[in-house]
Amino acid sequence: MKKMWKVSAAAAMIGLMALAAGCGGGEEKKAAVAKDTLKFGVTNFADSLEPTDNYFGWVVMRYGLGECLVKFDEKMNSTPWLAESWKIGDDKLTWTIKINDKAVFSNGDKLTAQIAKESIERTFAKSDRAKTFFEVDEITADGQVLTIKTKRPVPTLPGMLADPLFIIVNTKVTDRDYAKQGPICTGPYMVKDYSKAKAVMVANPNYWDGAVPFKTVEIPTIDDPNTRAMALQKGEIDMAINIAPGDLTLFDKKDKFYISSIASLRSVLARLTSAEGRPLHDKRVREALLSSLDRETYNKVLLKDTFTTGGPAVPPSLDYGFDELKDPNTYNMERSKKLLAEAGWKDTDGDGYVDKDGKNLELDFVFYSGRAELPLYAEATQADAKKVGIKVNLKNVDYNVLDGIGKRGECDLIISNIITANTGDPEVYMNWYWKTNVNGSNPQNGSGYSNPEYDALSDKLAVEFDPAKRRQYIIDMQRILLDDAATLIFGYPQTNMVSSTGITGAEIFPADYYWLTKDVKPAK
Amino acid sequence: MANKQMMARIGQIALVLLGISFITFALVMLAPGDVVRQMIAGNEDIMVSQAEIDALRAELGLDKPFIFQYLDWLGRALQGNLGFSYMAKKPVIEELLGRLPATIYLSLASLLFMIVVSIPLGIYSAVKRGSVFDYVVRGLTFLGVSVPGFWLGLMLLWILGLKLDLFPIVGGTVSLETIILPATTLGIAMASKYTRQVRTAVLEELHQDYVVGARARGMSEKHILWKEVLPNAMLPLITLMGLSLGNLLGGAAVIEMVFGWPGLGRLAIEAITYRDFQLVQGVVIWIALMYMIINLVVDISYNYLDPRLRKVR
Repeated sequence: MKKMWKVSAAAAMIGLMALAAGCGGGEEKKAAVAKDTLKFGVTNFADSLEPTDNYFGWVVMRYGLGECLVKFDEKMNSTPWLAESWKIGDDKLTWTIKINDKAVFSNGDKLTAQIAKESIERTFAKSDRAKTFFEVDEITADGQVLTIKTKRPVPTLPGMLADPLFIIVNTKVTDRDYAKQGPICTGPYMVKDYSKAKAVMVANPNYWDGAVPFKTVEIPTIDDPNTRAMALQKGEIDMAINIAPGDLTLFDKKDKFYISSIASLRSVLARLTSAEGRPLHDKRVREALLSSLDRETYNKVLLKDTFTTGGPAVPPSLDYGFDELKDPNTYNMERSKKLLAEAGWKDTDGDGYVDKDGKNLELDFVFYSGRAELPLYAEATQADAKKVGIKVNLKNVDYNVLDGIGKRGECDLIISNIITANTGDPEVYMNWYWKTNVNGSNPQNGSGYSNPEYDALSDKLAVEFDPAKRRQYIIDMQRILLDDAATLIFGYPQTNMVSSTGITGAEIFPADYYWLTKDVKPAK
Repeated sequence: MANKQMMARIGQIALVLLGISFITFALVMLAPGDVVRQMIAGNEDIMVSQAEIDALRAELGLDKPFIFQYLDWLGRALQGNLGFSYMAKKPVIEELLGRLPATIYLSLASLLFMIVVSIPLGIYSAVKRGSVFDYVVRGLTFLGVSVPGFWLGLMLLWILGLKLDLFPIVGGTVSLETIILPATTLGIAMASKYTRQVRTAVLEELHQDYVVGARARGMSEKHILWKEVLPNAMLPLITLMGLSLGNLLGGAAVIEMVFGWPGLGRLAIEAITYRDFQLVQGVVIWIALMYMIINLVVDISYNYLDPRLRKVR
């Protein structure tokens, strides 16, 4: 009996060792894409497919169901989609939008301006968020011509109509359970079955914009990034969204996988509190701090090149002069020390930190740990700043209190990872943090930063309709921020989509809602 | 259990639920930060306008004093209406019931794994105390209780799913194929704990006087173990198993995230992330209720399993 136990135990040990050694080699199998079925691993936050609820419209668009009048290209420029063209009237309030004559819904109904009007009105009736984009004075429809008159000039209205909140739904169909079946839309796929855990989409037989490549698309929700990567390695899914940076090397075999990666619309930045009486009120101290930080190394080494090194406020995914704007405060330790000395900060007591009037130069840096890169940036800042004699005190806070601390300016640096241009235009973002806060007029600017020249450009931007001029204003505003050392942009995160080579066209866009498109096809 | 005692226990349950509901409500609503902003944006750094925040605050009645908000909720809850989930855009009760079957299946499957593994191993380990088998079992159970669940889950996925291709990696649906790995992950941690408990309980019983007496009377070791020792050893374990089942029925958040299991644990995490206070209330009330009902059932079952308790009454 004893002998038998020993033999069994030995066999079990050998078995475990064989397992651990990875005798199967399952990940080497090439993902086999069934000709008619695509499997796409995603993350999903939407319990329902009602596009006006919360941000659920994003999922309606990500799954190839819904389309908008306008679409963003890879540089976030507004381009035609269900709308063929648009123009603004002389009153700067009336937009005339020509609806594409070919566009039809999945049930075969033609998309008319009347339906587009009713769809937009439905959005305004059901969503409080719609009013934060623009306020409508009147919408009229005539054949394929839709006219939207806004209450005040809205130069970026086409970009706003590209937000998934404004997905065009067939309002003639009223007997549908939007939550489970989704609305009748114009996208290449229709819902067969939907739950938050898994969706099954089928080809739209009436798709208006070319052939639909797959008969069926299965979209399982795989929240855990490690599990998502394993499923793709094994070939259980053909493509996956947002593979964790650390796992991307698993997919670098070009004959098996294709990685589409792009700088997202996000910036990771630390707002610098420059109010009177704070250490960073002195521009030279801000410049010294920025020059002491080796941001390139943080992004290349600490974050393994998954972030582009920061400089201007607007990320390179947007066409707002990233390449032409030069950061005057790049890493230069000697310059940093010199600037501090010029500002009167010297280490008189030999404790390793510079001081003035008997006080060390200490900065409170508030961060939260919800995003992996934030503590890394904070700790790297602390380490580098120490080299020039600036003491950075790190304060890890709960995300919930971050907003309040920023508004009240209760620290010297506060870090965020923020979307800069949901609607293709960074105007809101540029005003949000840096336009002067006059008696609470701009509560998000709790840093005390103020520059009349910047405010003047912001005012011009608010009423400017010409895209070229708008672009130039935003570039000029960024240049002011750089020259003033007004903020510390650490980097811009990359986003990615990885697919097996069994399919083509799986490209990621800066706008995070073009995932399953008609261009994702089986490889020939 | 007499009727009077039963009524007293039910009264206790109601009081505890009331206390828990108040504490949970207070924690969610009075925690730092703006609950409404959190409901809109979750943990995402997105620009949410003040107008949108104010509109939702008014819509949800969150502009009233805290105590009135709680009383509003309580009044509806007493009528069976646990409120409406802002995150899921459906009634809380509907969302809970939707997730319940997956949680029950996973709980029962991991409990079954635990019983099948821990009872034979624990008994045999006790009987063969000091043997190689005993040492191996103790070593493995020590490992089992020490490793974090999410790590074990990922390892099982990697080895059994990816390397050996025995199980699917993509979960999300409830099926025999997809339940095995999460149930095993949960079951291994529980089985490790219970194997040690069973071993200790059996060892304790084996040293009791009645066992010495039985041996002296010439009873066979088999009879002593199965008929005399085990029934006594199992009694304290029933309470622990009850608590474990109660725990499982509240969902296993981390494991559910790793395996994409659509259960209550994942729902709880999502509800907390979005500070969806009505849903958080619903989940917490459910978990508390399960704990107390199962404890009650365990107490009642003691009456039948332990003759000494019947005699006392």
